Amino acid sequence: MPDTINPTITAMGFASLESFLMVLFIAIALLAAFVIIVAVKPVYSMFPYAYPNARLRARIGRLITAKQLSEILDSDSLEEVKNYLRGFPEYAKYVDKYSLEKALDMQLAETYDLVARIAPDSIKSIFLILLKKWDIRNIKTLITAKESDLGPEKTAELLIPFGEITDVLEKLVEAESVDDVIMELEETEYYPLLEEALPDYEKTGMILPLEANLDKYFFENLLKTLEDDSDENKELLYSYIGSQVDITNLKIVLRAKMDDLQYEDISSYLVSEGYQIRDWKLKDLMDAENVPGIISLLEGTDYGPYLEEVLSEYNKTGSIAPFEVALAEYITKTAKTLSRKKPLGTGPMIGFLSKKEAEIKNLKVIVRGKREAGFPVSKIKEMLI
Amino acid sequence: MVEITMGTALLAVAAGIAIGFTGLGSSLGQSMVATSSVGAVAEKSEMFAQGVLFSALPETQAIYGFLIAILLIVGGFLGAETTITVELGIVAIAAGTAMGLAGLGSSLGQSMVASSSVGAVTENPDMFAQGILFSALPETQAIYGFLIAILLIIFSGILGG
Repeated sequence: MPDTINPTITAMGFASLESFLMVLFIAIALLAAFVIIVAVKPVYSMFPYAYPNARLRARIGRLITAKQLSEILDSDSLEEVKNYLRGFPEYAKYVDKYSLEKALDMQLAETYDLVARIAPDSIKSIFLILLKKWDIRNIKTLITAKESDLGPEKTAELLIPFGEITDVLEKLVEAESVDDVIMELEETEYYPLLEEALPDYEKTGMILPLEANLDKYFFENLLKTLEDDSDENKELLYSYIGSQVDITNLKIVLRAKMDDLQYEDISSYLVSEGYQIRDWKLKDLMDAENVPGIISLLEGTDYGPYLEEVLSEYNKTGSIAPFEVALAEYITKTAKTLSRKKPLGTGPMIGFLSKKEAEIKNLKVIVRGKREAGFPVSKIKEMLI
Repeated sequence: MVEITMGTALLAVAAGIAIGFTGLGSSLGQSMVATSSVGAVAEKSEMFAQGVLFSALPETQAIYGFLIAILLIVGGFLGAETTITVELGIVAIAAGTAMGLAGLGSSLGQSMVASSSVGAVTENPDMFAQGILFSALPETQAIYGFLIAILLIIFSGILGG
């Protein structure tokens, strides 16, 4: 009864029951608004990842296991490897159509194509740029093929029809020279890059400047899309892809130091804005006296401890192969850590792509090993990730 | 026709809060898990049954909210012996808010775990039992809200008073 509650309401400082109820409703409305914003916001940020993550995790479950890889490794011939891969739907559709290496590349390209199609809008652009990797690879193949006078049929066999220039691939295969290939690409974003490096190519007769311009464009474009963003999911992708860029640069620096080259000789092949190793650091690294000097300059970066661990091996053998293996290990471990960070974000995507890349690399190593008659299985095993 | 007093109006608001918030949480939660399940089924058709099961989990909070709203309506509008005073109306709002907010949080939390579980089961079918168990954990908060709402409704006399 209003009579019994009124004294309490008056004691609380309210003029009337109506004013008390008004305050009560306002308080409930404010609480509701706060709860909805706080509770619903994280769900909305995770929502776009629900579908792609479920699909990719299903594919993680279908990846080749260590046991299966060891069975493939024990195959006696390439035909046996082919037969084994026919048991995997992802590979079965390609192994009978193409050579094994091309079948593996087709599968990897298809995987990136799928991820680009199902990725949430906020990170789709990154995967669309990653897909351009196949455009660049195809252009490089075409340039190399024209340079070495390979026929259209053989050239076509080497191309991977994924990416943005698939429509013009047939025309490009028929091109007569490197210049023709570049001219045919006039309408694409790659034309200015190739045109810029053309004088160098014509002067030296080397296709490296053309290739370097394409690679630099790909990586710098990718890093530009990833950085300067407060999105945590993008940040995770940035550290994964950025580390790969750093490692690509580090490998070039190590090889250059082995060949006594200077910074100026290799600067055009380096991606200037890396993740942990920026332009100035690359210059410092190249100024180091020798390979151990480079490793000591990397102290303080995430790569330092991995490289220091195998320094003694380098000192013994004089080969930089242990560093390359250590860097590959670093990427695998980083991807594993990152994949667990955002299970309802980009985590599973990074996990899947890293595992898929490793699977394809391992299969390619096995295929190459099996192609070489008498190549020992133990040696192939050593080269697996 | 029931005469609408200030008390019954407050009780109606309480019923709205109970079903409104739980319904909102359930619909958002369920859509997230169902989206994951669609992705899982697209890759593995045998995931259909598990996907439906996981997607159904965030439905329960809306059922609790619906039951509380029904009890309030039955007690307030159909219980001829009880007159709903303003005090009872305020108690009803407390019951509705307890159910609504507990159900909202519980369903959203459950949707995240169930969505992850769908992914885990798709990757490794042996994870099914663990996935269900983990997904059921955030249900408890909705049960607390539901029980408190029931106790408030019964002991205040809104129902059976």
